[in-house]
Amino acid sequence: MNVSLLAGAVLNGLVTGMLYALMGVGLSLILGLLNIPNFAHGVLYALGAYVMISGAKAFGFLGGALTAVAAVALLGAAIEYLGVRRLYRVHPDYILLLSFGLSLILTETIILVWGPVGITFQPPPLLMGAVDLGVTAYPKYRLVVMAFTAMLVLGCYLFVTRTRYGAILRAGIEDKDMAAVLGINIRRVFTLTFAAGTGLAGLGGALMTPVRGLLPTMGIDILPFAFVVVVLGGLGSLPGAILAGLLVGVVQSLMTAIWAPGADASVFVLMTLGIIARPQGLLGQR
Amino acid sequence: MKSITRREFLATTSVAAGTSLLGAPARTTAQGKEIVMLGIWPFTGAFSDVGPLLDRGMKLAIEEWGNKVIGRPIRYITRDDETKASSATRRMEEAIDSEGVKVVIGPWSSGVALACTEVAKRRKVFFYFSGGTEDIAGKRCHRYAFQWAASPYTAMHVVVDNYMKLNPSHKRWYLFVSDFAFGWSVEKYTREAGARHGIEFVGSDRMPLGTREYSGFVSKAAAAKPDVLCLLNAGQDVIVSIREAHNFGLAPKVTLLNSWGVGTEDFMQLDAKTRENFWVGTNAYYGASTPVAKKMAEMYQARYNAPPGYAPCAAYGMTRLTLRAIEKANSAEPADIVRALENWETQDWPGKVWVNGKTHQTVRDYFLLRCKKPDQMKHQFDFADIVAVNSEPRMPDSINECKELGPV
Repeated sequence: MNVSLLAGAVLNGLVTGMLYALMGVGLSLILGLLNIPNFAHGVLYALGAYVMISGAKAFGFLGGALTAVAAVALLGAAIEYLGVRRLYRVHPDYILLLSFGLSLILTETIILVWGPVGITFQPPPLLMGAVDLGVTAYPKYRLVVMAFTAMLVLGCYLFVTRTRYGAILRAGIEDKDMAAVLGINIRRVFTLTFAAGTGLAGLGGALMTPVRGLLPTMGIDILPFAFVVVVLGGLGSLPGAILAGLLVGVVQSLMTAIWAPGADASVFVLMTLGIIARPQGLLGQR
Repeated sequence: MKSITRREFLATTSVAAGTSLLGAPARTTAQGKEIVMLGIWPFTGAFSDVGPLLDRGMKLAIEEWGNKVIGRPIRYITRDDETKASSATRRMEEAIDSEGVKVVIGPWSSGVALACTEVAKRRKVFFYFSGGTEDIAGKRCHRYAFQWAASPYTAMHVVVDNYMKLNPSHKRWYLFVSDFAFGWSVEKYTREAGARHGIEFVGSDRMPLGTREYSGFVSKAAAAKPDVLCLLNAGQDVIVSIREAHNFGLAPKVTLLNSWGVGTEDFMQLDAKTRENFWVGTNAYYGASTPVAKKMAEMYQARYNAPPGYAPCAAYGMTRLTLRAIEKANSAEPADIVRALENWETQDWPGKVWVNGKTHQTVRDYFLLRCKKPDQMKHQFDFADIVAVNSEPRMPDSINECKELGPV
């Protein structure tokens, strides 16, 4: 493998890794606080992408992305308030079934509204083309997405670790019953956290539209990797999700360069090795 | 509540059964008179963008015939194969059982077709497919199945031979290959044709159909410094890989050559800048100048405000040839259609066609197109020049794996 190929693979891995980290952070928030593996997370990523392209027609690229985040976050809040909340006191399998059923319903809704045909979407004209980095040429849009997502993920980490609301969130993750007894409106925290987690998924979908294009089943492709990131990073650990996301992205990209058929499998091998070496996850506590 | 007696129950059900039988002869007669043709198309799944286009093409042919043939009405039905073998075979069997289907046109995916052909063989229904796998007219051949698309052997030779004639210095090729039956067939013959021109295949990658992330593959291709990036993939994968090649600065300085493409429908998804230095090998282009092709293009454009690409032309061509075979045989029984089609040489879409009686391969022209620069386009759909059209070289019988078609 020459330097140019290695550089390209690492950069591709970082871009993909940032996406996985974004998905993983959202999923980790929901899983950590509410103890729910949200099987609808993938389709909400897809919905973000589709709302993005419709929003972009009316409001431009940036407006489209904001519309996507707002729409998916609102939907997430509605799902928690109207659906998930009714099932907290019953067997956890019912919440699993609800999220799985929602993923099917939303996928079919995407097909009904936007059609079954794949769609390609261009980045804004200012971000088209490639930049010569010396070792390799790399698309401008991907560089911008990588930088933006890195800042966003860092922002999420700082929010959770340095703010009062973040402290409430961490308290809820650690012991939600105690947090409720201490006077925290834990139900509101649940709703807002679900909205935030799903909003991040929607943002991930919106940002990736020029990179990966759109297909109604695009959420199914990314969901397994989002779960790998959460498991590898440690359940409920945001720093863990970030680190795991980057690791998974880079490993997958390097394997594509070395032996493409093994790229996806390498992610699951990495997860297996990670669980064996550290069952609690890279930065997990429980 | 009064409970029903056994006598009352028997009386009621007998009357109900008798009433339903009154309609049966009429239904049987209607079904016996009409000819049910099934279009098994992908309305969902990886090829969902193509399903509606195939539907258009088949409808166009049937309507051109006045919705009847040999004095019998044609009932055209469709089933969604979901681009999955399991769904396609289940729905094909259901259509044969419940609708009396005798003629099946489709599907689109080669992988799905290899499953459907087994159903056609077992159920003895006429089956016409257009796709890149050589196996339908090769090792999986049988008496009821026909292949409409050009043999990948012929197609890849037309593409490679003519491209190299115009670009003799382009010796370094990198391949993107869809990792299923279609991709394996076209890759095999691309390499064979390339060897005759001294082409060095500097790298290749196989990716599953529906791959969305091409950055890694494009980076690898760029590092190999090819003259040509040969796209042996399908569906939206082609569009995604073209866009990524441009995003990474690989194209247009490196030729993008989509050796088995759909042509027009892909061109419409790309802007003029992205079409620069893009070459396409295809089974169908609306610019074909034969009378049948021109008439079909005019009808399609009048109805849909866009020229037809490979998909609707294929569905139209297969349906039209099948209807003509039914007329020739004066029968819609699958065995009679088969016998009428075998060894038939005629003028149809896209021009002269001959159905090889030993393999059921339709021998017809294959096209190589070169996209025009924006200032060369005479109108919005004037995407490409036809730089070569040929039905030769034909696949030698010695290397064809279809040895025995079997009886009807």
